[in-house]
Amino acid sequence: MSAYRENEHESDDGAVHAHIAPIKLYVGIFLALIFFTIITVALSLVHLGPVNLAIAIVIATLKAALVVTFFMHLKDDNRFNALVFIGSLLFGGVFLAYTLNDTGRRGETDHLQGAYVNPATGEVAPGGAPIPVEAPVEAGAAHDAPANAHGGH
Amino acid sequence: MSTASTDAPASPDSALADKAHDDHAHGDHSHGPKFLAHHFDTPVHQFDTAKLGMWLFLAQELLFFGGLFVAYGIYRNWYPDDFSWSSHQLDRFMGGANTIVLLFSSLTAALAVRSAQLGTRKNTSILLLITIACAFGFLVIKYFEYVHKFEAGLLPGNLFHPHVDHLAASTAGLPIPRHGGSFFGIYFMMTGVHGVHVIIGIGVIFWIWLRNHRGEFTTEYWTPVDLVALYWHLVDLVWIYLFPLLYLID
Repeated sequence: MSAYRENEHESDDGAVHAHIAPIKLYVGIFLALIFFTIITVALSLVHLGPVNLAIAIVIATLKAALVVTFFMHLKDDNRFNALVFIGSLLFGGVFLAYTLNDTGRRGETDHLQGAYVNPATGEVAPGGAPIPVEAPVEAGAAHDAPANAHGGH
Repeated sequence: MSTASTDAPASPDSALADKAHDDHAHGDHSHGPKFLAHHFDTPVHQFDTAKLGMWLFLAQELLFFGGLFVAYGIYRNWYPDDFSWSSHQLDRFMGGANTIVLLFSSLTAALAVRSAQLGTRKNTSILLLITIACAFGFLVIKYFEYVHKFEAGLLPGNLFHPHVDHLAASTAGLPIPRHGGSFFGIYFMMTGVHGVHVIIGIGVIFWIWLRNHRGEFTTEYWTPVDLVALYWHLVDLVWIYLFPLLYLID
């Protein structure tokens, strides 16, 4: 019974008491969202290299925060709902980070271990760092060489 | 809260008591307001339960889209130049216009909830209809974008066979990337699944419009309007990320 007593909406009569925000607030948030959209398009036309992606994600996250906080009322809502939302983002982040750490580094140690996606051709997995020139790439090299022959250490 | 003010059973673990309570609640309407389902003690109990259920559904939606965002991250990481070339084939103007259309529809959805809270039924109806109109506008713009992609041969996977005369001027002279099909596979999946959400949104907002039209909502009970708006804001939220990630790659 006490699980929902913490809610701000709770009052003695058990009725739902809404936080009714002024129209001005909603219109203001909308204008801020349009402003950020224009900024993100403008900045995408400036060539900043990898920083472009970081800026785009930061601005998108600012916009998302405005939508979630005000349009979706998380500001005045039961805190547990915010926990559910943030929790799903955190697990999404774990999914992304671990997967990219795998796929972005595949093949980096293949030449050290003599391990290839296709040992017959020396084909490495996509992604990862460029293979050093001394790595065997000709057909059959992985079969002929001992596993640690190209370690370089 | 005092249980004495309601006819809820004092010990919920007693199945017999529950059954007796149920029979009683079905038998007469002394339990509370008409909108209050008999298994809730109070309107706020019902409201909080509905909201929590909706947020759990939205969390599931985010994880569902999360798989697509991870696929995007992997392939962009592998083929950054191919992604840049492919992104330049998308129409930034149309993508930007759709962003503004969706943001505006989010505003009208938020205002529809406010109007429902205030009990101004006619305004709620109008605001819900504007939201639906924006959703249709979004789909029309998306349709024109898709038609251009089909004509230009900018298609997923092995279907990727671009026609040089249809390509963007900004990539003129650049070689056709080998992995453009990966980008367009992800582009069509992400925007397609998002588009399906927009279509479903039209359906559920129309349903809520109908219920509002019938006069089912009052200043005490507007939860369904609130929940449908939450869904619509999530559709907007996903697009807020899709737009820069797909259309605005340097």
